[in-house]
Amino acid sequence: MSLAPHLDPVVVDLGRRALLDMGEVSRSLVYGSFLTDDGFEVVHVPDGKVDANRFASMASSIQALSEAVAREVRIGSSEYVIIASDKGHVIQLRVPGHPVVLGALFDDDETLGKALSVARRCAQQLAASLADRPPVQPDAAAHEPDAAVEHAGAPARADAHGVPAL
Amino acid sequence: MAEHVILFGGPMGAGKTTAIETLSETEVVRTEAANTDRATADKDTTTVALDYGEITLGETDKVRLYGIPGQQRFDFMWTILKERAKGMVLLVNNDAADPVGEMLTFLDEFRDLYDRGGVVVAATRSDVSATPTVADYSAALTERRPDLVVPVFTVDPREEDQMRTVLMTLVANIEMREMFSAPAASAAPSQPAVAVAE
Repeated sequence: MSLAPHLDPVVVDLGRRALLDMGEVSRSLVYGSFLTDDGFEVVHVPDGKVDANRFASMASSIQALSEAVAREVRIGSSEYVIIASDKGHVIQLRVPGHPVVLGALFDDDETLGKALSVARRCAQQLAASLADRPPVQPDAAAHEPDAAVEHAGAPARADAHGVPAL
Repeated sequence: MAEHVILFGGPMGAGKTTAIETLSETEVVRTEAANTDRATADKDTTTVALDYGEITLGETDKVRLYGIPGQQRFDFMWTILKERAKGMVLLVNNDAADPVGEMLTFLDEFRDLYDRGGVVVAATRSDVSATPTVADYSAALTERRPDLVVPVFTVDPREEDQMRTVLMTLVANIEMREMFSAPAASAAPSQPAVAVAE
């Protein structure tokens, strides 16, 4: 059985780095979060701006609803979700190949196009980082905490959307 | 044609999505995600927004069936969906650690739905765990909420006949209360009605 993304310190660390990098590229990023498909927060930056658990739960619901609508009207899979308002916008999109969603809140100083571009790059950065994570060697695994051993030895599990678990 | 909006509530893993799949005459809208919380319920997926289906009862009653997420962290969906609802089928998993406690918690959370229309309790997986019994649920209801009249069933959510019985009981309760327009607060305290579907 593999570790859930929000319980995996490697995913949390890589996610934090990707979010901080997004903040460097876009100063109008107010809040960024990675969350699991089922609404658990993996990591967020910065602290104190938003109720992190609440944001993760709501983002999970919105993601699932948007995908249900896309299925219903047969327009393929939902690529991203945009909530545009007069004081900013929220962008959500999946981390390719993983049961993880990026939710990012930008203020109204950012154009929607640029916000979408940096959010997409952030999600791709996490996907690439996870693909590059070094496999745990059997000998090393024997000395790792139980959780790491469990993660390294577990076969990938397909989730509801047909992507392997982290 | 009368229309009813009915919620299917209860804790994660109680069988809400299955019940709606069983009842609905239309393709069910589902919003499921990979479940990472195996400690709470050992199943692959979980509802994170809503399930939606429709059924026609008799020749006149159209019922819109909404399943809500079972986890407290999605309680904003509870608030959104209960605004339009008239009643709730409250499913509890009989082999959970404390199904009676979960029933009472959800009943408290959705008390306004009882006041507006009605609530029916449906205990699932009683084939796996024989207790609590229907009498146990009713006794807990009587002790905690002597002012409420809540039918209790044991059901298999995969069985259409059983789920239709539960749903029709709830709709009948709602329509009777509408007919008599009796405010719940003024109703005389009474014992919970008990029915067994299996």
